[in-house]
Amino acid sequence: MASRTPVIPLSESFGEITREVARIPLHMPARIPWLIAFILSLALLSLFLASITYLFARGVGIWGLNIPVNWAFAIHLYVWWLGLGHAGTLISAMLLLMGQDWRNSLNRFAEAMTVCAVICAGMEPIIHLGRPWFVYWMFPYPATMGVWPQFRSPLEWDVWAVMTYLIVSILFWYIGLVPDLATVRDRAKRRGWQVFFGIFALGWRGSARHWAVWNKTYRTIAAIAVPLVVSVHSEVSLLFASGQIPGWHSTIFPPYFVLGAAFSGFAMVAMIAIVMRHAFQLGHIVTERHLDVLAKVTLAMGMMTAYGYFFEVFDAYYSGEAREIATVHDRFFGAYAWSYWGAVCCNFLPLQLLWFDRVRRSPVLLFLISTSVVVGMWLERYMILVTSLYKDFLPSSFGYYHASFWDWSTYIGMLGLFLTPFLLFVRFLPSISIFEDKEVLAREQEEAARG
Amino acid sequence: MADRLLGLIGEFGSEETLLEAAKQAKAEGFRCIDAFSPFPVEGMAEVLCLERDHRIGWITIIGGLVGFFGMLAVQLFVNVDYPVEVGGRPLFAWPAFFVVDFEIMILGAVTFAVAGMLIINRLPKLYHPLFGTPRFGLASADRFFLYIDASDPRFDAERTRGFLGSLGAWTVEAVLP
Repeated sequence: MASRTPVIPLSESFGEITREVARIPLHMPARIPWLIAFILSLALLSLFLASITYLFARGVGIWGLNIPVNWAFAIHLYVWWLGLGHAGTLISAMLLLMGQDWRNSLNRFAEAMTVCAVICAGMEPIIHLGRPWFVYWMFPYPATMGVWPQFRSPLEWDVWAVMTYLIVSILFWYIGLVPDLATVRDRAKRRGWQVFFGIFALGWRGSARHWAVWNKTYRTIAAIAVPLVVSVHSEVSLLFASGQIPGWHSTIFPPYFVLGAAFSGFAMVAMIAIVMRHAFQLGHIVTERHLDVLAKVTLAMGMMTAYGYFFEVFDAYYSGEAREIATVHDRFFGAYAWSYWGAVCCNFLPLQLLWFDRVRRSPVLLFLISTSVVVGMWLERYMILVTSLYKDFLPSSFGYYHASFWDWSTYIGMLGLFLTPFLLFVRFLPSISIFEDKEVLAREQEEAARG
Repeated sequence: MADRLLGLIGEFGSEETLLEAAKQAKAEGFRCIDAFSPFPVEGMAEVLCLERDHRIGWITIIGGLVGFFGMLAVQLFVNVDYPVEVGGRPLFAWPAFFVVDFEIMILGAVTFAVAGMLIINRLPKLYHPLFGTPRFGLASADRFFLYIDASDPRFDAERTRGFLGSLGAWTVEAVLP
């Protein structure tokens, strides 16, 4: 970063940072707003449970799916959730390796967001299976039927990619959390808290020997996690690109999907950062500088995603394939043109305001722009699926898709599946990295002393 | 009392003073020392000669290899055990196999790294005598501690206490079992 303003104000002290963050689980500052949010998310979760109960009883026919449009909400939301999750890993791992100090106030809750989003993403293809109780057929176990999974299929790749991503995200998050759990354990006064944090802190003592090994492990995992993110979302894009459906069969898909994922994810991190900063008065730790940097990264990712949009269209015309070009026309002017233009407008128009410094530092505007991006990426994933499927090579198999009540109820309910564990995390665990912020402060103080 | 002493622990106010104290203790000839801090102190690994420990790197590589070849073996076996021929294409679809292989290589590397870290650090270990010293809880907040073990050949309860004091320790506490 060019500007030399400190990420953590120099007036902070190690003790102050400890108190500010550790008080959140131990003495919840915003009890009532948290309770309201939690009740709301539990209501959404019940809606989700009711929806999938009905789904399991009646089958995927309760959704608006049909032939030709047999992939819609469940799959477009799978891509969307997974994309939201990717920013958490990128902030944590990539920016750690690049020595970007500002990540240290954001990485913890961004990683928690990743874990919650990947859980939701993983649910989607499972509930989309006609018979979800047979999901274990995806694993190579010695079945009495004598058959094995088909490892040449992108659908099989999915299982391994999401499983790996979920486990690695949880491990990376937890390993980073252990020293902070120890900090909260040592601050806890009540027996219950001491036992709870004591067990999960694993007896961490902050020994130099432990730190040395821990540091190596954390950085190693970070270095591995960056290619993992790229591979997971590239693999997801191959679900589409390795098929022959017009509008999917393109080599731009892997980078286009990865960038779009990071784009929506950074917007989501900005939204969560703004809410947490406001709800828990964390203005000293998540500063305007953080919002500024997040906005810049979102803007950069957005412009790269826009490049993907441009090249998708260019690719189709350049290929000269009649059906590819027809799909582009269907996207521009067809029955689902609203999803295409909706995605373009929500993704890229408000985004341009982020060129201005004043907008980047305004929490309200940044929150609104980020919301627009998250909605825009939602529309984009919908657009990619439905506009390609509803008209392909054979006019006899053209057909329309309309989301049913149960499509919407499953989706809206799933927001509860995301929010409930996330709110529990915010309530019970240190949601900002305490020790990493101290590390930043120590470095800044040293630099200031040197002048 | 003195014969049950496990070691002495001195409290410092900043990471620089801790680092300086650790260097001095090392120069004084103490071997069995450890430092405790709320965050990793830059340079401490070098002072305690820990920077040459590459075990984690090796463990990660082994984990990655186990994941890579293990998953490859599974995919090859599955295609031999129940061959599905599609239009005469090769049974071993290397580019397709590589996708899952890559993911499981990463999974193997990361799980090995984490397990290795816990084993090398002997965690979880929910109780440790250090937790019995009243001020040690501050090691996770804003204080820095230097520990000298009683098994050190140069350890002497009285003189070591004086030595820690001379390094500028704010308090010196005895660690008892």
